[in-house]
Formats: sequence, C-alpha cells, structure tokens
Amino acid sequence: MLEYRNVHKAFDVDGGRLAVIQDFTASIREAEFVVLVGPSGCGKSTLLRITAGLESFSSGEVRIDGAAPDPRGRGRLGFVFQDAALMPWRDLLSNVTLGLEIRGVPKPEREERGLELLGLLGLQGFEHYYPHQVSGGMRHRVAIARAYIVDPVILLMDEPFVALDAQTREGLQRDLLDLWQRLKKTVIFVTHNLEEAILLGTRVIVLTRRPASIRLDREVRLPVPRDPTNPDFVALRQELRELLT
Amino acid sequence: MASVREIASAREAPAAVPGASARTARRGRRRILAANGLALLAFVLVWEVGSRALRSSFFPGPLIVGRTFVSLLVEGDIQGYTLLTHASVSLYRVLLGFAASCLTAIPLGIVLGLWRPLYLGTRIVSEPLRFIPPLAWIPLAILFFTGLGRYVFLIWVGAFFPLFILTMNAVSTASPLYVEVARVFGAGRWFIALKVIVPGALPQIVGAMRAVMSPAWMCIVAAEMVAAELIGLGQMIFNYATLLRMDVVIVGMLSIGVLGLVLNEAFMAIERAIFRYRQEVRL
Repeated sequence: MLEYRNVHKAFDVDGGRLAVIQDFTASIREAEFVVLVGPSGCGKSTLLRITAGLESFSSGEVRIDGAAPDPRGRGRLGFVFQDAALMPWRDLLSNVTLGLEIRGVPKPEREERGLELLGLLGLQGFEHYYPHQVSGGMRHRVAIARAYIVDPVILLMDEPFVALDAQTREGLQRDLLDLWQRLKKTVIFVTHNLEEAILLGTRVIVLTRRPASIRLDREVRLPVPRDPTNPDFVALRQELRELLT
Repeated sequence: MASVREIASAREAPAAVPGASARTARRGRRRILAANGLALLAFVLVWEVGSRALRSSFFPGPLIVGRTFVSLLVEGDIQGYTLLTHASVSLYRVLLGFAASCLTAIPLGIVLGLWRPLYLGTRIVSEPLRFIPPLAWIPLAILFFTGLGRYVFLIWVGAFFPLFILTMNAVSTASPLYVEVARVFGAGRWFIALKVIVPGALPQIVGAMRAVMSPAWMCIVAAEMVAAELIGLGQMIFNYATLLRMDVVIVGMLSIGVLGLVLNEAFMAIERAIFRYRQEVRL
C-alpha cells in the first residue's frame, strides 16, 4: 500500500548538494507497524516528511495506494510531530477535531468523535482544558488522537515520545499499541531508541548514516506484549546496536 | 468524572500545583506593592526637597501642586473647565485615533504579513513614510482638518505605522509547525490563514496594540499644544505655560503620566484575560 522506489533526496547547501536519502526502496503493507531507526540526523524525519507531502524529493517514486503523496488530496495521512504541536489557543477537544474541521465535518459530529477518541486515550473530562493546563504526556495523547481522528490510511510518527520521561513514555507506548491493535492502522514510527523500536514494531528498518539507505529490514516476530527481558528481545536489540555503531 | 481526573492526574502529575504557588505569588505581589509605595514616597520627598532648595516660583513643590490639582479638579481653570473635562476630552480623542489606526493597520498588516511579496514590492513607499515623525504632519493636519478630525488624523498617523509593521511581523513569523499540522490534514490557504496563522499571531498583535497606545497618547498632547482650542490636557499645559503658571503645567504633566499608566495597565489586564492560554507554567 505504501511504496518507495529508489527515493533520493538532496538539499542545496552553500552551492553544494547534501544528499540526505539515497536509493531508499521499501514496500509497506497494510496494518504494519514499521519502525525506522538510524543515527540522528540521518534523514529519518525527512523520509516521513516526504511521505506526508511536506517535503519534495529529488528523484524516485513514492506511492500511497498508487497515488503520489499530496496532503491536499484526501487527507489520508495522520502525522504526529515531535513535540505534540497542539495549537495553544484551542482546547483539547478542538485540537483533536482539527482534521475533521478542515474536512468540513459538522460540529456536533466531529465533537462526538473527538470525545470518543479522547475517552479511548484516558482523557475524558479534560476536553475543555487548554494545552498549557495539562501535562506533557497528556498533550502527546491528544496529538495521537488528533492524527487518528481522520481515520488515516497511514499514521506517521516522528519521534513522538522523545521529550518525555521514561514512565510517561511507557504509558504512551502501551496506549499506542492498544490503539493500533484496536484500529489496525499502518504506522511508520521514527525513533532512535532501540528498545522502543522492538517494543512497538512489527518490522524494524535500520538506516545507515547520511545519506540514508536501508541497512537492515527485519520483521519482528516476538510475542506480544513484548518483554524487554526476553532473550530474543535482548539479542535483537544487541544486533541492532551493533549495526548502528 | 472526578474519578477519571484523579486517575489521569495520578498517572501523570498535572502541569501546575495551584495552592502553594498562588500563596507565594500573593506574597510577591504584596512586596511589590509595598516597594512601589515607598518609591512614590521617595519621589515626592525628593521633589519637595528639590523645590525648597531651588526656591524658584517656577518649580513648585508637591504641596502647591497638590493644592492646584484639587482646585483644578473641583473649580476648574480660568475658563471653568475642570481637570476631568480636559482629561476626558484628550482621552476621547486618543481613543478615536487609536481605533482608527487599529481598524486600518491591523487588517493591512495581516494581509501583507500573509503575502510578503506585496510588502517587499511596495517598501520604497511605505518605509520612508514610516520614518516621518507624527509631529511633522501637524502643518498638513492643521490645513486640511479641523477640530476632532485633526486630532484623530494625527493620532492615526502616529500609531498606524508601528502597528502595521508589528502586526505584519507577527503574522509572517507565525509558527510554521502549526501550518504543517494543518497542511497534513489537507487544509487550504484560507483555513491556514484565518484559523492557524492569525490566531497564532493574535497575542502579539494585541501586544502591539498596547505598545502603540503610549506613542498615541504622547501624540495627542503634542497635537493639542499646537491647536487653537481650549480643552484638552495638552492645551491646558500650553495655555498655562504662557502664563508661567508652572503648578498647573505640572498637574497637566502628571495627569498625562498617570492616565498613560492606567491605559497600559487596563490593556495588560485585557490581554491576560483573553490569552489565558499563553500563561506558561512558572515554577
């Protein structure tokens, strides 16, 4: 459903060209939870932004259900940004329903769905709070709900939990997995936390240093819920770590 | 509902703890109030001592000025206009001019902020105009406007350009992140402009309105000083300066200062009320 064929991306810098992504080819199936890991600054985020149509690419092909990425098309994507990126002047409910508002869904209907999703993420009762009034973890839940509400074909997540403390992060990972199991979206998740990658992913793609290309593309067949102390888990993490150093 | 909140806040501590911080904030406010009281006292004292040392009838001390203040307030000046009349007329003029510049500068700033090329393409006209001090417009204002229109025009000239520039900058530097959030959902230009960029820039725009309020207020006094009318704080100062009545002049000066302070505080209170979401958590 999501195809990358020989994708290249280079930025113009001071007259020269900085290659960020080189010859990236991958095919992602429906309901897969793909985690992209790689050294920081290797172009993982750029790849997500290309997929979302926020960034152009130099050559190659990206196809989402056969169509080129274009957010103006049908809004089939959900994007969760690194820091929740909630609009501070909107309360939590109207942050969550933003995507539906853009699509012109009438207010009662979009609020009903917004409340439903906030409930799924344990945020009932907070719908009229403003982002500054709630904790960082809650803001990230709202960001996830906001991406889910448009019923996206693909959910793109750009290091969404990087700024959170370990405990909050674990809670969010659990909730994200719950939501994914319930609603079965295709997820592409960028992180540089290897444990997070193996905990969440059904498939892990390891990228090389810039310019990014695929170093390893591996299905993760460990039983769910995953246990970080499981020997296979430990072994896989070790393998990934060696690839990255 | 309460139980849900408890669960959620137990899982992740909420962002602010109101009890303790409110108490320290109250204590801090009291301290600031006390310090300001002392500063006021010191100011009046230095003034009194200074005027006694100078022994000049052109620099009356706070006692004499205070007496004049009361008599201006109760009995009024030679023409019978009380201080309140002077002040309210000046205030009325400044608010009209200020409203006129808000109504023109803010929409224009928003449009040019959204569409930078139009600004860049017309800078050769707008930039020099911006640097003409409002007082330089007085001759033209006197020739082409009379009465209230003249003041409104001068205030408008003084407030328009700074407000326009500040609004435009607020709009054009709006966070690109929120724009991307909306774009991923397929938002069009209008949605992004009206529902993302403008609300994001609004706190800065209102801040700009407050910043422009003080030059506008200073403008009115200068404008009144050159116009041949009887009412207005600036006019009062000017008329009594020719009579060498410095006590009245000082009452006028202090009234201008105090009213400026009141305007500024009122504006800040409004800002706090409408942009509650902007208040970051302070620890």
